[in-house]
Amino acid sequence: MGNADPNEEIQVSETCKVSSERRGDVAILWTDGYINNQGGEEIAREAYAHLDRGVRALVLNLEKTRIVNSIGISILIEVLEKVMDKKGALAFCGLTPTIDKTFRIMGLAQYAEIYPTQEDAVRSVSQPA
Amino acid sequence: MNPPFPATSAERLEELWKRIGGILEGESPLPSRIAEAAILATGAREATLYLRERDAWVRTGEKLPGAVETDEIPEPMPAGVFLKEGCLWLPLASEGELHGLLRLSEAPSGEPSEHAPLLAFLFGSLVAAHRLARQVREAEFELKARLLELESLYDLGLSLGGQLDLSALADEVLFRSISLTDAGKGGLVLFDDADHLLLERSVGGEILVSRDCVSWMLPEGGLINNESTTDAMRDGSCSKFLAVPISVPGRRLGILAVADKESRDGRVLDFTPTDARLLSRFANQAAAAIETARLHKEAIEKERIERELELAAAIQRQILPRDLPRVEGLELAARNRPTRQVGGDYFDWFPLSGGRLAFLAADVSGKGVPAALLVSTVHAAVHLQIDDAKTVADLIARIDRHLQRYAATRKFLTVFFGLVEPDAGVLRYVSAGHNPALLRRAAGGIEQLKATGVPLGMFPNASWKEEVVAFERGDLLCVYTDGVSEALDAADEEFGLERLTALVAAGTGPEELTATVFDAVEAFAADVPQYDDQTLLIVRRT
Repeated sequence: MGNADPNEEIQVSETCKVSSERRGDVAILWTDGYINNQGGEEIAREAYAHLDRGVRALVLNLEKTRIVNSIGISILIEVLEKVMDKKGALAFCGLTPTIDKTFRIMGLAQYAEIYPTQEDAVRSVSQPA
Repeated sequence: MNPPFPATSAERLEELWKRIGGILEGESPLPSRIAEAAILATGAREATLYLRERDAWVRTGEKLPGAVETDEIPEPMPAGVFLKEGCLWLPLASEGELHGLLRLSEAPSGEPSEHAPLLAFLFGSLVAAHRLARQVREAEFELKARLLELESLYDLGLSLGGQLDLSALADEVLFRSISLTDAGKGGLVLFDDADHLLLERSVGGEILVSRDCVSWMLPEGGLINNESTTDAMRDGSCSKFLAVPISVPGRRLGILAVADKESRDGRVLDFTPTDARLLSRFANQAAAAIETARLHKEAIEKERIERELELAAAIQRQILPRDLPRVEGLELAARNRPTRQVGGDYFDWFPLSGGRLAFLAADVSGKGVPAALLVSTVHAAVHLQIDDAKTVADLIARIDRHLQRYAATRKFLTVFFGLVEPDAGVLRYVSAGHNPALLRRAAGGIEQLKATGVPLGMFPNASWKEEVVAFERGDLLCVYTDGVSEALDAADEEFGLERLTALVAAGTGPEELTATVFDAVEAFAADVPQYDDQTLLIVRRT
């Protein structure tokens, strides 16, 4: 009932796509879609692959994710625990206000920092040369 | 080959811990650590761990836990450590609860197996502690999830309170609903007042068939369907779903639905009454916000219409002449009483050469801006054509053609157009479907000048007859619109032509007659609101 076109839908696909890029000992993971069981598993698979190849810190950019459910959160907690076991670091960025609050309530923000931008997140987890 | 164990229990325990402590404190999953420690402690070639998960046995020690064929587990289960088909079985129990079984293949006989009860106790305690820690974590997670639900309801209320964008509102509600019910899919449809589809949203695929949703009646509290689909759900797209109505008292605004509740192990779970309550609360929040947005839109629309009507009324006031022309030998009077809505009455005077006077009174069908626009078009047409027209009938035909060609709306109007020629003592007129004008003769008596053709704008290529009557000194012509003759009183009775004729017959002059008629109509109608403009034109030859 405002000015927005009601037909202009925000597309949220059934499957979450995850892409990544390694920058030194930091890997950036971009998610696109719903972080549920399938999306969480995709993230975990990508994250563990990087950790196994010596990546120390992960940055999860969720700017293309609008929904996260509790299964997705529990998988992210598992990823976080794995990173902490390896004495690494994990940071989130690009969160919607709703997801930001969800992560804080569910305890993810207790051990992983949340940053507004990817640059801030990468800078925070990068070790000084 | 492991060295032999020391003799005393304490020493044995210490030695055992030396061997396996490092493994048990490692980072690999607990079942793998237990299997590895058991091999090291017993010299067995292979160790397999079976864990009791949700009333089923799961075999670990493989890459992924797998369901176990029932014949793998000894039945009935002997008490304590036992040997079966060359394997040593260690029940892993704690506080009387069996958590798992450890199978050691080709374990060397003798010493290691003597320590099996100790290992069973140690590993059983480890599994129990691990399970307890997991249950605590799960309980903590569940608690946080409930807190998140409460926070979400609160946030949604705040967020939707000022949300007037229906599209954003729908997304907000749908996303939160899917997220907090762990649904794999979700859909939201909204209907307008006429039950037409207003908006449709889906996540994870289209699950609601919007055209069928319109007639879909949901039970109180929503529909939990964990078994089958209905006509309103997309066939085969989901196996379990939950749907609740989005409604305000007396009207259903839409439907909110989620489908296929997920679990960590990939199963599709049943939706629960708790899920239904949560979804209903979201739907209620949405309904309140949608209703607020609708009322806001209506208020804006009403304000816009009132502004338009004010503008249209202002235009119409500008069109109507403010002053009476001065014409030798004629005495004139006119009055117009508009209703609250913009109406369609129009009158005008046109002093012409040779002391002649043309005038018209018109009544457009309908109300509001379209009627005002047509009045404006007629006004322009008359002023454009009056100098070129050869006769009154010619002028009326020209105006009609103009309307047929340029009028934006398919409306019609009645017109009385008169031309007084004082020198010749005649009145020429055309009445296009207008109420009969009243001609009061100085010599006495009243004549009715009836319609000479159909209203303008009604039929293409229509024609009108021009009548000519004598207009002697003292004669008086009264032209009016039906707002005068058809004014209603509280009993729905019309003022009527008879009462008007009686007033005209009373013999007063134009100004006084105008006041008398308007006062009489007002008194007749009392406080009954009138919905038609009232216009009166009087022309008397002096």
